[in-house]
Amino acid sequence: MYLRAVCFTALLLAGASAHAGDIEAAVITPTGQPLPDAAVVLEPVAGYARGPLPTVTIAQRDRELIPYMTVVQVGTAIEFPNQDPFKHHLYSFSPAKTFEIKLYAGKPEKPIVFDKPGEVALGCNIHDWMEAYVLVVDTPYFAKTDARGRARIAHVPPGSYRLRWWHPRQKQDLPVHILKIGAAPMRLTQKLDVSPRIIKPKPPLDKEQY
Amino acid sequence: MIFRSLQRRIVIVFVGLLLLVMALVLALVTRSNSRIVAAEIQRELSAGAQVFSLLMEQNRRQLETAATVLAADFAFREAIATQDRPTIQSVIRNHGLRIGAQVMMVIRPDGNLIADTQNIAPADRAVPFPDLLSDAESAGKSSGYKQMKDGRMYQVVVVPILAPQRIAWVAMGFLVDDRWAHDLSGITGLAVSVIRRDQTGVTVLASSLEQSKRAALSDAVGDVTAGLRGELHIGGEHYQTIYMPLGKETSVALQRSVEQAEAPFQSLQNVLWTIVLAGVAVFSFGSVMLARRIVRPVNVLAGVARRIEAGDYAEPVPRLTSDEIGQLATSFDHMRERVADREQKILKLAYEDSLTGLPNRTRLIEEFGNLPPESRGAVVVMNLDRFAPINSALGHPVGDRLLSEIGLRLGSFRSATCLVSRFWGDEFVFLLRDADRAAAADFAESLTTALRHPFTLDGHRLDVDASLGVALFPDDGRDAVTLHRRAELAMYAAKRRRSGIAFAAEAGEEPLPEQLSLIWEMREAMAHEQFLLYYQPKLDLASGQITEVEALIRWQHPQRGLIPPMRFIPFAENTGFIRELTPWVLEAAVTQVAHWRRIGINLVPAVNLSALDILNPKLIGHLRRLVEQHGLAAKSLCVEITESALMEDPELALTHLNELAALGLKLAIDDYGVGRASLGYLQTLPVHELKIDGSFVRAVAETPKNAAIVKSTIMLCHALGLRVVGEGAETPDDLAWLRANDCDVAQGYGIAQPMPAEELPGWLVAFGVRRWKQA
Repeated sequence: MYLRAVCFTALLLAGASAHAGDIEAAVITPTGQPLPDAAVVLEPVAGYARGPLPTVTIAQRDRELIPYMTVVQVGTAIEFPNQDPFKHHLYSFSPAKTFEIKLYAGKPEKPIVFDKPGEVALGCNIHDWMEAYVLVVDTPYFAKTDARGRARIAHVPPGSYRLRWWHPRQKQDLPVHILKIGAAPMRLTQKLDVSPRIIKPKPPLDKEQY
Repeated sequence: MIFRSLQRRIVIVFVGLLLLVMALVLALVTRSNSRIVAAEIQRELSAGAQVFSLLMEQNRRQLETAATVLAADFAFREAIATQDRPTIQSVIRNHGLRIGAQVMMVIRPDGNLIADTQNIAPADRAVPFPDLLSDAESAGKSSGYKQMKDGRMYQVVVVPILAPQRIAWVAMGFLVDDRWAHDLSGITGLAVSVIRRDQTGVTVLASSLEQSKRAALSDAVGDVTAGLRGELHIGGEHYQTIYMPLGKETSVALQRSVEQAEAPFQSLQNVLWTIVLAGVAVFSFGSVMLARRIVRPVNVLAGVARRIEAGDYAEPVPRLTSDEIGQLATSFDHMRERVADREQKILKLAYEDSLTGLPNRTRLIEEFGNLPPESRGAVVVMNLDRFAPINSALGHPVGDRLLSEIGLRLGSFRSATCLVSRFWGDEFVFLLRDADRAAAADFAESLTTALRHPFTLDGHRLDVDASLGVALFPDDGRDAVTLHRRAELAMYAAKRRRSGIAFAAEAGEEPLPEQLSLIWEMREAMAHEQFLLYYQPKLDLASGQITEVEALIRWQHPQRGLIPPMRFIPFAENTGFIRELTPWVLEAAVTQVAHWRRIGINLVPAVNLSALDILNPKLIGHLRRLVEQHGLAAKSLCVEITESALMEDPELALTHLNELAALGLKLAIDDYGVGRASLGYLQTLPVHELKIDGSFVRAVAETPKNAAIVKSTIMLCHALGLRVVGEGAETPDDLAWLRANDCDVAQGYGIAQPMPAEELPGWLVAFGVRRWKQA
């Protein structure tokens, strides 16, 4: 399994634009296509000091959960504002966070706190195609690839980290590596094989309603 | 045999034609039915198979959809997500009931069972249908037919449980059982059977067929190939079968019963058969009635025809129908009347003598044939005595009128027991029934009496005499021909005797069989030239010269030798053969004399004529021709006639003698003295010579009585101007006596016996020498 470590490339980046402790990551599919919505997580081996956590929002708009993928630090509260003119029924059966927000409109009374690390799949009980994923990590150093398959983690203090790669539709778990980070910025590239997203049928919106 | 009757033939033709048409219709219907059935079965099979495929697809989608909906049930998903096995177990049971699935399974994404309703423990088993699962991996869901552990067949649908990503698979199994088969059978109209084939053999897993046919089906199924069609024989029924694939080792046999498909056509055919049979029955009855209507009058006509055939024309043809047969009957009746008329005429012609209107010979013979076998009676033949001279003197028309008058007179003798008929010429024949000899004699007597009154024709008074012959039956014969002949012979006897009436019993017997054969032999002899002439010289006593010879016939019989004339001439006379013999004798004698003349011998031949010859009207012409042919003077031929020959019909004989004399022939009376003719009578005849019978001349010198008769006869003849010939001069004394008593000519053994023609010249020479010596 450790032989897989060669799969990613760590590069020390030099240049004025790059700050010390900045990690640039790129995730591609085995065919070389950029892969968005992949998480790159660095967990400090030595632990870290907890700071205040931002409130994260996963909105429901146009009968979609936005964003599709969210990475949060353990203990983060996520708000699920409903911006559609009709109700949603949000649920998760994931062991990391099982919850249910029964039919509601607008903003729920209180956000959901994701207090355990793990993967959480979110769905809407009345709109089957709506789905979103939350990766709850026990570190403040993480990022999610953008549409170009790139992610950037800034200001990572030097030290040893467990490097993890994750994607909601990854075909298999990737091994965890120890990555030593120095003062120089680093560039990481990872190949990740994913299943294509199952596009569930989404009926057109009934115009009469609004 | 059966075609002999018109009625049957009509019926057979009618019914046969109907049967033919019906058979054609039936054959056509049956043929097109079986074609329609075959095509219909194939069509039903194809349509059924198509419907079946659609149904299966629809069913699959419905089940998948239902399964998907079920899998999306929040509570269901929630329960699955709990990972709590008892909960999961109970929820799949519950939801299985909801959807109607008999088997529910929850499978982890890695392919291991979490829970199932079939076999709860142990956990973590591998799923029994990984292929469906991998299909579902790629397509999102899948379905197929699987045999489960319970050995039963299920339609299995695998759908994911999404929360919202796939957290598990749920498999739902719907039992493929007989009910399933029946449901599909009800929709497709085909028998539906699920068949599994593997190494162990063929198993019918489910079927809409009744239980009894399943085993037969599994036996009958051979190599099952999808899409293959074929016919299977199951439980006495034929099934057209098409196979559809169901799973790896399973397929569905869709079947259509040929018999069931044929059933409606069969009932149509049954109706047709009924119509045919009823039609044949009605037609048979109708044609029998029609044929009867046609045939009955025909039979009536046939009956009439048979009666007419039997000679019964009396019954008229009954009036029948007014159709063609009725017209035929009318024509038939007309024909019957015409035929009756014509037969009447023909009968008249056949049985009636046209001259006298009396029954004819045929009628009499037939009438005789109709007599009872043991009846007695008489046949009387009557012949007019002087009819020929009347006929030749006054002409045939007068003769016919006379016969007609006589017939009229005789007609009065017709009675129930007496048939009067005219046979021919002047011969009338009477058939008397139940008459004995005395009655017949009385009847003959009354006939003679009836003719005694003279007839008057054109002012001529005609006396008619008749001779009658009577034959009695059964004494004188049993058949008409014999009786007639015997009566006729008797009649001739009566004529000869001038006795008026003679009975057959007294007139002599029938010719003996040897005599009958003699007739035939004489004809043969004539044809084969067995007759020859001997010549006996006649001596002219005054000159001592031989101037005449008498031609005497001899019969040189190949077996019997030389037959003397007494043995056959009387019979030739009786049978009429003499009519043929005499012309030959005349011819031969004249030819011979002509021959002698050429060698210098001048002799006058004498030829004997019989009574029949004298009465033969053709004789004169014949003699004239003969004499002219040979260049003879008529006086160089002499004919000799006996007295009795003249007595048969003296008038006609006289007529003919006159004609012969006029021709210039020499005429001689033969055998004078034995008959009863008087010299006075003879004197009226145109004869030149009289031959005194040998019985008087023989030994005349020693017999004074004979000498007196001969001497006076010679004197009388000389007085009458007749020459006298002495016959039978056997001795020189006889000759001397004749010469001494002025007899003109002598003939006899004393001079010479009759001799063959070739010996005569020699004898003449010898005679001349002898005479010269005596002189």
